Order: sequence, then structure tokens, then C-alpha cells
Amino acid sequence: MFIDIACSQKKKYNQNAYGDYFASNRFPNMNRIVAVLSDGLGSGIKANILACMTSTMLLKFMENHSDIEKSCEIIMNSLPVCKVRGISYSTFSAIDCFDDGNAKIVEEGNPDFIWIRGGEVLKPEYQSIQSKDFKNRKMKVYNIKLEKYDRVIFCSDGATQVAMGSKRYPLGLERSGLIKIILEKLEQEPEISSKNLSEYLVKQIELIAPNRELKDDTSILSIYCRDPRESLIFTGPPFHGEKDNYYAKTFMEFKGKKAISGGTTANIISRELNIPVIAKLSMNSGKLPGLSEMEGVDLVTEGILTLTKTLEYLENGNAEENAAKTLMDFLLDSDVINFLVGAQMNKAHYDPNLPIEIEIRKNIIKQMAKVLEEKYLKKVNVQFV
Amino acid sequence: MAKVEVKVCLGTTCFVMGGSNLQELNEIIPQKYGDKVELNAANCLGLCSINWEYSKAPYVKVNEAVVSEATVEKVLEEIDKQLGN
Ligand code: FES
Repeated sequence: MFIDIACSQKKKYNQNAYGDYFASNRFPNMNRIVAVLSDGLGSGIKANILACMTSTMLLKFMENHSDIEKSCEIIMNSLPVCKVRGISYSTFSAIDCFDDGNAKIVEEGNPDFIWIRGGEVLKPEYQSIQSKDFKNRKMKVYNIKLEKYDRVIFCSDGATQVAMGSKRYPLGLERSGLIKIILEKLEQEPEISSKNLSEYLVKQIELIAPNRELKDDTSILSIYCRDPRESLIFTGPPFHGEKDNYYAKTFMEFKGKKAISGGTTANIISRELNIPVIAKLSMNSGKLPGLSEMEGVDLVTEGILTLTKTLEYLENGNAEENAAKTLMDFLLDSDVINFLVGAQMNKAHYDPNLPIEIEIRKNIIKQMAKVLEEKYLKKVNVQFV
Repeated sequence: MAKVEVKVCLGTTCFVMGGSNLQELNEIIPQKYGDKVELNAANCLGLCSINWEYSKAPYVKVNEAVVSEATVEKVLEEIDKQLGN
């Protein structure tokens, strides 16, 4: 079972820092994933610091299986105290989850998480733990067993309290309102990815907010248990030309989604398997060469330039509409990503007069694998051929 | 009369050496020639690596003629020539 996890956030209107903070880590060897969503007191940079400290510390404690109660006391004791209100405060939700479905969830102050199975909301039991040093703080600890196709949604109170005081939502959207939106969406799109679901929900919440101005930072953390989606990206001509045919076949026989990143690579596969590749002279591709088409392959892009841009987009999180964005979406829509990297020096690029240093495919892929693993929590395999 | 086929190389070398500007042809050619000219793109035509020390990318093929260090003007010139204008 694969745990598809994604978080989408929107700042409070007119603030320039996020007051909610999401941190997570996947341990592919242990089939384990740990994630924390924290909401700092207030908004802006102060809240950001509180939330960021809480998330990162808690994540570390959980990773090391420290006693959760003690960890939380330590965190609360170490948060800076707000001068105005005289308190230090950040709420959080944390999950420690294994591929077999065993999960531990700890919540403090955030709205109760929403657990959905087959269109129904489950009501799990929990243990309540009172903080020793902080009288008003109580943690809820759940030990649950997730099954395939289950969904778990965490949110900050910005989501449930949106539009509070308005005619339509005097008490805000509330957890029940959020559940309604989620269930409706799941009925339309039962297989929607965590990324798309969380983005959709944040968008909806923004639409509900009067004048579309969010009064509080809003975050949705979505988890979806499902079969992993695999993809294979072939980039660069194989080192030993006589193996071209073998790798072209290996590529085509792959069961998941397939992409080729590199014109020469596409030409090789086209030649070996006798499938035409059609380049497209598209107008709006801007500073990057456009896409090509090849039967049986989901995506064909140019190589180095596109990969470089894609890496940049993956690192920064925002992208323009072009081939690199298409490739980025392709990658983010997969859980297990395999790169087949041809290590042959591309003769076409070995020109000292070229304006950019271009023989950098290996490094780009290595960096890309790192971002995909660390920032997007994907499982990545890289094979040089 | 036979159509003239124009192939713009969008391989990496050609693209960085100025091929990106040739995407304008996408608008100009249909406007100017209607369906007398067929415009296509291609991945690396293999021309840039033959003589790479003297690479004259970007390359465009107009029928069998190779336009090197191609610009929009040069390509239009070659099309005119082939159309006998
Ligand atoms: S990139 Fe145009 S000929 Fe090689």
C-alpha cells in the first residue's frame, strides 16, 4: 500500500508569511512516513516561527520514536513567548504511519482529523492526555489501522472557521461543512490524488471566505492509501550504443506511465522500435522547445533545457505553463519514479562554444531525485545505463 | 505544384543557438504562403554533431536544402527560392 500525502496552504489575506507549517519525512527503507502540520498563534512571521519550530521539533522527536508526551512538553517549554499575549502557543496534528496501515496520530488544538472509508466518516477512539505544565492543553492520541483507499484529512482551524460570522456560516464552515465538500468531491473523483484534493479544498475555502480574503492561514493535509503509481523516465542515449534496442524495449514494456526527456533519446527509441516521433512546433512553448508525440509514450520532451527548468520548478514550487511544467506534473502525479539515464556523452552538446555548460544530465537527475524524495516524498530509483 | 516542406530543428543545440526565435515561423508561414508550405518541427537533425567544431546551428531544412545559422529571414528567402518566386 502506498501512502499518498500532500499539503496545500494559503496565507491569511495580506500577510507575507505562512502562519501554518507543514513538515514531513518519508523513510522508504522502513516503509514509513511521518508528517506534522502546525498552526502558530496569530499570523505572519511570529506565527510562522512558532509553527515552524513546533513542526520541525516534533518531526524529529517522532522520527526517533521519542515518547510523544514528553516531546510535546519539551516543545511547549521551548517556544518563545508572545510579548502581547504572554503565552506561547501553536497547535498541531502529527501522524506516524506505516505502509501496512498502522498509524499513530497525535493532535493538540487543531480540528479533529477526518477519516473517510467508503464514503463514510469513521469515529476512532482516542486517549486524552493532559499537559502537566500547561493546564489548558490536552493532547489526543489515536492508534488506528488504515486500509486501502482510506483517506485522512487534517486541517488548521483557518479551514473550519472560514467565513465565521457571515449569514451563511455564522459559526464558520465547521468540520461538518468541510466533510460535506470532501465527500462531494470524492464522489465525483473517487481516485483524486492527495495533491489535487488538498489544492481543491483550499481553493473552495478561499471561495467561501467573504471577498475571498482569508481571515486566517489555511492548510489542508491530505493522506490517501492506495496502490503506488509508477512512472519511468528515459533520458539520454545509453552508453553502449549496441544496447539501444534492449533499453528501448525495456522502456516500452514498462507497465506504468512513460516519459522520454531528450530529442536524441526519442530518436533512438523511434529508430529501434520503428515508432515515429513527431515534434511539435507549438507557439506558446516560450523559452523551451515544445513537446513531441510518440505512440505508447505519455510524454516526450526535449532534454537538458527542460530538465533544468523542471528542477527549478520543483525546487521553487511555482511554474509557468510550458514543457517543464508538464514534466513536473507528470513526476508529481507518480509515487514511485524510475529514471533510466543514458550516460553517453551527447556529441551534439560537446561544443566548447555553446553558451551554456550542457553536459550536466547526471547531476540534474541526481538533484531532481533528491528534491523529489525530500520535498515531495516520492520513492525514486535512478539507473545509469 | 508540389508543397515545400520546412523542418525546423528544435533539438537542444539548435534551440539554444537561436532556434527558439524560429517559432515565429509558425505564424508567418501560414499567413504568407497558406498551404503551399508545410511547416514541421524536428528533434535533432543530426547536423549539429557532424562538424561540431564549426557548428552552424540552428538548422532548418527547406525540402532537401539545409539552412544553417537560420533566421526567419533566411528561411523565408529559401522558401521563396524553392517556390520560384
Ligand atoms: S540540435 Fe539541431 S541538428 Fe542537432
